[in-house]
Amino acid sequence: MAKILEGPAMKLFNKWGIPVPNYVVIMDPNRLAQLGEANKWLRESKLVVKAHEAIGGRFKLGLVKLGLNLDQALEAAKEMIGREIGTSVVRQVIVAEMLEHDEEYYVSIAGNRDGAELLFSNKGGVDIEDNWDSVKRLFIPIDELPTVERITQIALEAGFVGEIAERVAKIASRLVLCFDNEDAQSIEINPLVIRKSDMRFAALDAVMNVDWDARFRHPDWDFKPVSEIGRPFTEAEQQIMDIDARIKGSVKLVEVPGGDIALLTAGGGASVFYSDAVVARGGTIANYAEYSGDPPDWAVEALTETICALPNIRHIIVGGAIANFTDVKATFSGIINGFRASKSKGYLENVQIWVRRGGPNENQGLAAIKKLQEEGFDIHVYDRSMPMTDIVDLALNS
Amino acid sequence: MSILANKETRAVIIGGVAGLNAARRMAQFDFLINRPLTVQAFVYPPEEGQQKEIYRGGELNNVTVYSTLEKALEENPQINTVLIYIGASRAYQSAKEALDSKGIKLVTMITEGVPEKDAKRLRKHAIEKGKIFNGPSSIGILSAGQCRLGVIGGEYKNLKLCNLYRPGSFGVITKSGGLSNEAMWLCAQNGDGITSAVAIGGDSYPGTDFVTYLNMFENDPETKAVVIVGEVGGTLEEEAAEWLGAEVRRIKLIAAIGGTCQEVLPQGMKFGHAGAKEGKKGLGSARSKMNALRDAGAIVPDTFGGLSKAIKQVYQELLQSGVIKPEAELDEKLLPALPPSVQEVMKQGEVIVEPLIRTTISDDRGEEPRYVGYAASELCEKGYGIEDVVGLLWNKKLPSREESEIIKRIIMISADHGPAVSGAFGSIIAACAGIDMPQAVSAGMTMIGPRFGGAVTNAGKYFKYGVKEYPNDIAGFLSWMKQNVGPVPGIGHRVKSLKNPDKRVKYLVDYVKNHTTLHTPCLDYALEVQKITTAKKDNLILNVDGTIGCILVDLDFPEHSFNGFFVLARTIGMIGHWIDQNNQNSRLIRLYDYLINYAVKEERVVPEKK
Repeated sequence: MAKILEGPAMKLFNKWGIPVPNYVVIMDPNRLAQLGEANKWLRESKLVVKAHEAIGGRFKLGLVKLGLNLDQALEAAKEMIGREIGTSVVRQVIVAEMLEHDEEYYVSIAGNRDGAELLFSNKGGVDIEDNWDSVKRLFIPIDELPTVERITQIALEAGFVGEIAERVAKIASRLVLCFDNEDAQSIEINPLVIRKSDMRFAALDAVMNVDWDARFRHPDWDFKPVSEIGRPFTEAEQQIMDIDARIKGSVKLVEVPGGDIALLTAGGGASVFYSDAVVARGGTIANYAEYSGDPPDWAVEALTETICALPNIRHIIVGGAIANFTDVKATFSGIINGFRASKSKGYLENVQIWVRRGGPNENQGLAAIKKLQEEGFDIHVYDRSMPMTDIVDLALNS
Repeated sequence: MSILANKETRAVIIGGVAGLNAARRMAQFDFLINRPLTVQAFVYPPEEGQQKEIYRGGELNNVTVYSTLEKALEENPQINTVLIYIGASRAYQSAKEALDSKGIKLVTMITEGVPEKDAKRLRKHAIEKGKIFNGPSSIGILSAGQCRLGVIGGEYKNLKLCNLYRPGSFGVITKSGGLSNEAMWLCAQNGDGITSAVAIGGDSYPGTDFVTYLNMFENDPETKAVVIVGEVGGTLEEEAAEWLGAEVRRIKLIAAIGGTCQEVLPQGMKFGHAGAKEGKKGLGSARSKMNALRDAGAIVPDTFGGLSKAIKQVYQELLQSGVIKPEAELDEKLLPALPPSVQEVMKQGEVIVEPLIRTTISDDRGEEPRYVGYAASELCEKGYGIEDVVGLLWNKKLPSREESEIIKRIIMISADHGPAVSGAFGSIIAACAGIDMPQAVSAGMTMIGPRFGGAVTNAGKYFKYGVKEYPNDIAGFLSWMKQNVGPVPGIGHRVKSLKNPDKRVKYLVDYVKNHTTLHTPCLDYALEVQKITTAKKDNLILNVDGTIGCILVDLDFPEHSFNGFFVLARTIGMIGHWIDQNNQNSRLIRLYDYLINYAVKEERVVPEKK
């Protein structure tokens, strides 16, 4: 799952013949003035300036400015670039032509188990959620492409008329091609606008998710996926992602500011249950973490040090199921080194550590981590006979 | 009984090293329950034709690697199951081919990171073919007492702890691989163990779903209850709830659903599995799944920890209602132990293995090499040099400072002798022929022998003999040599003579005798011998080999080591010549005709063969 920014999405739309407004993505506001000299549309159209970042609720934050001329756009770009929003900084803005239009439509496609579903509404725009009843659907089985006639039929059912229905269907058929060929998971165009005077269509805003696992067959994907958690990744998250990209197995981290229970858990399935257990018992998690697939000990060590440095934590849950092939002794040696290094840097003061784990070499791994007690760590170690998430109960009741 | 995998299952693994590891784990299970090897073939083009060693207990099996699935199946028609371990970019093609193969009923894929589109197409293809495509990202399938596909179940010890050697009454279906193992353990600890366990994988669009396997378990009379472990995302758990509620089901359903924490976490937050993401408007949320399952009559604990209690409760009910008959506990000691490696048994002192070789000089089993007990780094730290390492490894003694200085000089003086001598010339010819350094240096090395550089050992040996047997009788020594050996090794030179002495010999003798306190009986003896021999012929001088040999005797080095000093020293020179020729990019050389006397027959006609 990988959300991509508007710029790259527009580029893919262009590739597949889906009409988009003129647009530029810039990092330096001065570049916009020069682009203005080169491009007539920048000088003559109304413009929209948007922060080109993975920041949720951009409109409310003043990171979307509408109906500007070039000078105003320049001002807006200067104002936005460099602005700090929480942990993130606006580094790029997208400046696009604000097509004067008559109507706003909604077209989207999303994958499902058996193929994909194409959705239409002639009541697009910000109120689409309220007009959800107007949405008409067309199921597209995997490996099949619907004819333009079939799509037109649905467009007509959705209330589009005459030539507009045909044109919308044509755009939708290209959207299907784009979806299928680009290994997309979902594409939502809202609004798709029309200027009736010259029957010009344009996808004014789009959200696109592509299947990042398919990147091996897309040499022209020159973008990186953006964070899907409504904010850019923190430095620590980025570091762990960089390690993750280099190793056999995986390490993952998402910070959750404000929590006081840190998770250092193993396995994609078990880690979620540990988060659940903390929440179910009224605790707050400081992070979500996961190591799996028998990662090298140094990667687990790096993850451990990152987690120990999370602010205001009271407990660390070193949890996991009974591993199939992740070596408990080896991964725990990474955790032990991480704990030692963190302690020597002054972390882990008044932090309780709770361990439950099983799997290959479990006895040696558990015995080794238990020895940290002798080095003054407040650590509680349990083996497979302790129900998996019950260490969370113990931690929260301590 | 079981589902999917049983005693008749025979598998081929498509993939490289990960597949081989899985096959070895699977063979451990085969050994535990005493069934034939499950994995009968590998498909991995880069290793076509190789045999992979797989131990079933103490029995060594060789399993063939084929380049194509077609060939593997042609030669092993008994195979009915395919395990896919190959990389994500090739997984689709492999699985499709497997599904298209006639005798194959089940294809299970462990490969992670397979594009969704590929997984969706494979699922559709399998349905059309009436076959099962399990995965991607599946840790495997295990039927207790019958068959293990993949590394599901973990290490050997765990197979026993989870009672996997004999069937129980619980089915297990999980998305997560780690939790399949955990769930099997819970079923063994709180119930009587499992019939079969299936990991369907945590991807967005797995090839199968809970309902596929719930139906199979419902039709498997031995399975009395099923534990499913699901999570936020998709609708497979809702469908399971729907299945349960649709009609009266024989099996009891227990479910744990992960992802309730998402209610309080940042929206859109991503969990471990690709499929674990909430849809629009709470669709696919953990809470909606839990509610749906509870409404349909499943037991759904709040946390995963609560699963133990739920399983215990169901097991007790089934026991009380007589659906399950309590089974006599098997004494675990009756189960076979995995044959230990020789190393493990030796550690326990239960076996004696005669060593193949013996060493008395060095040991690298610790953190760094030790030479006759001394750590290499410590020698460096304390100012010892390469001469001292020679002393340790060749003579097992640390030389004194004076002795080291002599050794150093011997090596320095012998390091090279120009390009014309046999050794250097050999290396140079090889270098010019484009031969790599080790071989080119060996070419020069080959020259070392009785006529070139190889007389040190014999010189030392016979002078030592002379000192011992003919201490004050040089004439007696020389006549003994003449009778028994021939010319005295270490005496004589092609160009040097008394009038034109060898500077190296002069220097070494002077240094040892006048600048050190070394006691030199052997060198003195050789110098006495020289007096007699040079009286007969001017060039019968003590040569450099003889000098070095005698000094080494006086230094108390072992006889066998003497030639080593020349070999070691001259290696430095030969390497130098090789580098020199390569730096100059020298071309292939051959002898000019005028340097050869062609003492051959005249040209003539080849006679007809009789």
